[in-house]
This record gives sequence, C-alpha cells and structure tokens, in this order.
Amino acid sequence: MSMKFIKVFLQIVVLYIFYIVGVWLSDRLHLPLPGSIIGLLLLWLTLMFKVCPVNWIESGANFILSYLPLFFIPATVGVMNYFHVFAGKGIFLILIVVLSTLITMAIAGYTSQYLAQREETKRKELKSWKERL
Amino acid sequence: MERTLIAILIIVLTVVIYLVMNRLYFRFHYPILMPAITAAVAIVLILIGFNIPYQTYMIGGDWINLLLGPAVVSLAYPLYKQRVTLWENLVPIMGGLFIGTVVGMTSGILFAKYLGFSKEIIYTLLPKSVTTPVAMQIASDLGGIPSLAAIFVMIAGFTGVIFGPSLLKVFRIHHFIGQGVGFGTASHAIGTAKAFEYGEKAVSMSSVAMTVCAVIGSLLAPLFVWIFLI
Repeated sequence: MSMKFIKVFLQIVVLYIFYIVGVWLSDRLHLPLPGSIIGLLLLWLTLMFKVCPVNWIESGANFILSYLPLFFIPATVGVMNYFHVFAGKGIFLILIVVLSTLITMAIAGYTSQYLAQREETKRKELKSWKERL
Repeated sequence: MERTLIAILIIVLTVVIYLVMNRLYFRFHYPILMPAITAAVAIVLILIGFNIPYQTYMIGGDWINLLLGPAVVSLAYPLYKQRVTLWENLVPIMGGLFIGTVVGMTSGILFAKYLGFSKEIIYTLLPKSVTTPVAMQIASDLGGIPSLAAIFVMIAGFTGVIFGPSLLKVFRIHHFIGQGVGFGTASHAIGTAKAFEYGEKAVSMSSVAMTVCAVIGSLLAPLFVWIFLI
C-alpha cells in the first residue's frame, strides 16, 4: 500500500517536472503554446521515442486522470465572483455556446466520416485492382 | 499556522465533497450529476452560506490547483496508448477535428462579437470545446476568466450529450470515426463518456480527438484572436 503510494507520488513528481520544463520553454522561447501543453508534447515525444519508459509515469498519470475533475474544482468555484456575467443579455452566452457546439460537432463528425469513407473506397479499389492483376 | 490549518481544512473539505459526489454520480449516472459540477455547486453554496470569500477558499484551493499542470501533461499517456488508432486513421481524425475546431472557434467569436460582448468574454468563450484544464489555461493566457471558461466548457459538454445523438442522426453520421471525432471535438471528455453508447471504437476516436484538440486549440486560439479581434 505505502510502496504504491510512494510510486504514484514519485511519478507525479516526474509529470510535474515535464510541466515545469514546458513552462520554462514556453517562457524562454516565447512559444504561443501554454507550458502545460508543451509539457504534454514533450512527454508524448519522449514516450514515442522510448526516451522515457512508460512505467515511469503510468501509475502517476492513471492516478491523476482518474481524479481529474477534482483538480479543476477550485478554479471552477471562482465562478461565484462572476454570476453577474449571466445577468441580462449575458444569458445569450449560453445560447452561443450551445449553437456553436452543435455546429462544431456536425462539421467535425461529417468531415471525419467523409474522409474515412473516401479512404475506405480507395482501399477497396486498390484491392480490386490488385485482384485483377 | 492559522493559514496552514485553513488550507488543510479546505483541501479535506474539497476532496471529501468530490468523493461523495463521485459516489452519487456512479450510483445514478445522470450527466447532470457529474462530480465536477455538483461538487463545485456544493462548495459555492457553502461559501456563500457562510459568507466566505473566494480568496479565503483559495488558500487551500491553490494547493489543489497545483496539480492542474501535471494533469494536462498526463493526457500524453492516453494519447501514447492510442498511437496505433491515431496513426491508422490519421487523415480522417486530423481533418475532422481541425475543421471542427476552426469552425467552432470562428462561430463562437462571430456570434459573441455580433451580440456585442466584451473581448474578455470572447477570450473566455473561445476554448469552450477544449477539455477543462487546458481551456482554463487558454482563457487565462488570452486575458479571459478561467473559472467562467470552465462553465462554458461544461455547457459545451452537455450540449453534446443532450443534442448530439439527434444531431448525428439528422446529418447521417453513422461511421464510428465521424461519431467519435464529433463528440471529442465538440464536447471533450463529457462527450467522450457519451460516445460509450456508440461502441468502443467511437470512444477511442473521441478520446484521441479530445486530446489532439487540446493541443490544436491552444495553438489556434491566439491566432483567431489575432485575426478577428485586433
């Protein structure tokens, strides 16, 4: 139990280091990406190129991701200082979000499906050509 | 000493409320009972009820906030695990989520601008389809309000859950790649949970789309601000 706890803790420290390096790079190189996203990309690249073994971060990442909503509760609670935003015409903001989300979903889904089906037809054609030859 | 005590008390309170709400959610499984919402509502009610300012709450809250950065970094892990799914469907996934994100951000900006909302609000609205921790980061980097961004993100999530299924039917999106990418691009993690009803393949598409959208979204957001608002 306690060994597992230490392992998770140390792995979160590793993830935190990736985050710190990301923030540092973002500041230093004036990158348009937030430090946390740079950290994500760095971790992803080091995993892909097997620089960072998966079992160095696996338990920590699983732990954080399974409690993910907990970590943004404090920031969300801050909305208590902004209730006035939704007063009056502010209520339209909800409508904007709903409408824009529906458009996003339709377009993203439709485009993906179109591209996927196009690839599938191409693959089939290729296959039938090969069979004829 | 007193500050430390307050911090510990607040951290314990937040964790306990979260765990209780989590139990409640797993018991009933209504999307509206998502612990991120119910726990935040409960804490807001407690703070207002006892007349505690947000700044006092954040004495402890800041410690929990500290894990937001590594939480975003952790998203690399599921993306790594799904590298084969991503690679085999690279064009449909990337094409759909890229166009979806562009259209989503553009429509959000234009609607809000048309209705005369302030820049601060538009910056906050912009990352609505991106997963919460990243959306808050994007909003705060642009000069928006992170906590309000979290609310918009939740509304975007529920929109997908409530209207998504009929939308997919109307637009005849029946391929699992289209369904998954649609849910993940528009409604992030909440949508990904809904994608479970469309099968495992749709879920993995949705979760890949959600993670890549977080990266693409944080890259595109400043660009759109530059194009439309300056």
